[in-house]
Amino acid sequence: MLTIRLLGDSGVLISFGEVIDEEINKRVHALAQAIEKDKPEWLVEVVPAYSSLAIYYDPTLITHEEVISYVSDLKFNVEDVKGREIEIPVAYGGEFGPDIEFVAEYNGLTIDDVIEIHSKPLYRVYFLGFLPGFAYLGGMDERIATPRLEKPRTKVPAGSVGIAGKQTGWYAIESPGGWRIIGRTPLRTFNPKKVPPSIALPGDYVKFVPIDEEEFWEIYKEEWEND
Amino acid sequence: MIEIVATPSPAMIQDLGRVGYQKFGVPVSGVMDEVSARLANYLVGNPDNCPVIEFTVGGLILRFHSSSVFAVTGEAEVLLNDYPLEPWRSYWAKRGDVLKVRLRKGMYGYIALAGGIDCPRILESCSTYVRAKFGRPLKPGDKLSLGYAILTGKAGKTIPRKFIPNLWGDKTIRVILGPNIEHFTAQGIRTFLSSEYEVTPESDRMGYRLEGPKIEHSERGAGIVTEPIPLGAVQVPANGKPIIMLADRQTTGGYAKIATVIRVDIPKVAQTRPGEKLRFKPISVQKAIKELRKREITMKALRKAINDEWFLYKIKVRGKEFLAFSGTKD
Repeated sequence: MLTIRLLGDSGVLISFGEVIDEEINKRVHALAQAIEKDKPEWLVEVVPAYSSLAIYYDPTLITHEEVISYVSDLKFNVEDVKGREIEIPVAYGGEFGPDIEFVAEYNGLTIDDVIEIHSKPLYRVYFLGFLPGFAYLGGMDERIATPRLEKPRTKVPAGSVGIAGKQTGWYAIESPGGWRIIGRTPLRTFNPKKVPPSIALPGDYVKFVPIDEEEFWEIYKEEWEND
Repeated sequence: MIEIVATPSPAMIQDLGRVGYQKFGVPVSGVMDEVSARLANYLVGNPDNCPVIEFTVGGLILRFHSSSVFAVTGEAEVLLNDYPLEPWRSYWAKRGDVLKVRLRKGMYGYIALAGGIDCPRILESCSTYVRAKFGRPLKPGDKLSLGYAILTGKAGKTIPRKFIPNLWGDKTIRVILGPNIEHFTAQGIRTFLSSEYEVTPESDRMGYRLEGPKIEHSERGAGIVTEPIPLGAVQVPANGKPIIMLADRQTTGGYAKIATVIRVDIPKVAQTRPGEKLRFKPISVQKAIKELRKREITMKALRKAINDEWFLYKIKVRGKEFLAFSGTKD
């Protein structure tokens, strides 16, 4: 079911339900893509999330009623949304993943188990939000779920891959943070000099691929040196 | 070129924001008070979206290394070589001149320079967003080059007193209720609309945190499935204290939002200092859109009048004086 709510005088929120669900998220992206493809002149931007999307518009050109009737009439097809499958190399443990031992112990597993369980699924990118390039991934195995740090670190390096509760993901830019860091990707997952600036796009699927330290530095040099 | 001499309080380059990248998690940023910033640009003949210097209460000192035309907006004290000038007006500066600004009222002031400030664009915008290191606050010794502009005829422009926005007086902020209104009790909504809320010192470009009577959530609680956050959203976390989300707000969030400040009143919110109080008043979306359209017509007319494309007339109707714009000069 589709509900429409007002985001003040310059936006409307289209919601397909209040749950985190892959099929619902596909509808969000299908509608977002249909609007972006159509590019009406009053459109400012479209922001998809888990089960809803914001349409920000220019109220000097259109009213909220007209935006709502536009959306109601717009045809979109969930079949058109085809996410790519992208691989994110990750060096697990050691200096790259200082919390991996804790995650293993907390869940009664070995470090190798954690790596295997974490790198097995194909994670869905539900959307990007909160911070630049931050991907909300779905599909983590609950066997490695671990609560956040009691005291967040003041600085987590860009590319750090972590677990927070039942959630996993990476820090796209250096920032403070309370996730349990289990590894790090050498990829520059967010680069404002590129369009699109993010390596993962909403609707994509992500696979973490374990690499060793040597491979990490090889890729790291390529990604970060020409700066 | 201009050189930053001192930054008694934080100042940074901003334009109208990084529009179109929220789907990648990139905040919009941009000026906190869109009206004052755009008027500063109009006064020096720049387009709306030219980068300006946004300064805060303690102000800024800068030195001109070449001739330039500048304007300062906001409730600012303006000194050129220690000689007092007016805000809301454009002036020539020569090489070596020193400009000192600071605020008498409000939180943000703007300096616009003819031709705009040359700055590296990140995702199509010059806006500084400190958290992601998109630029950084200005510091003494920074040199900023200016865009090319013909300076002749640019100085001496002014905003008629009647059109200087009053963002510093009455702080009744108009809001459209929602989008998560069902997360609040009827009593909670009444509390929100009938109480005074004080802006706290923890406020910044990301959001203004308010102190005041606790807003009661319904049994649905303070959490929602993470969804997009519009400019001006009033989030209420579990402690019941509202936060107004502003320029540097994150793109999405998981707290219920009781209301959204209308676009026209965002500058008024931005210009509220910690310790000052706000009140919220509901308004319909139809009215809000009408207000915004009215504001934009005035802004456009002011820009044309400042650029000598339109004339500004004083007319008297039944003893009352009005200002009117006219589209032709002859």
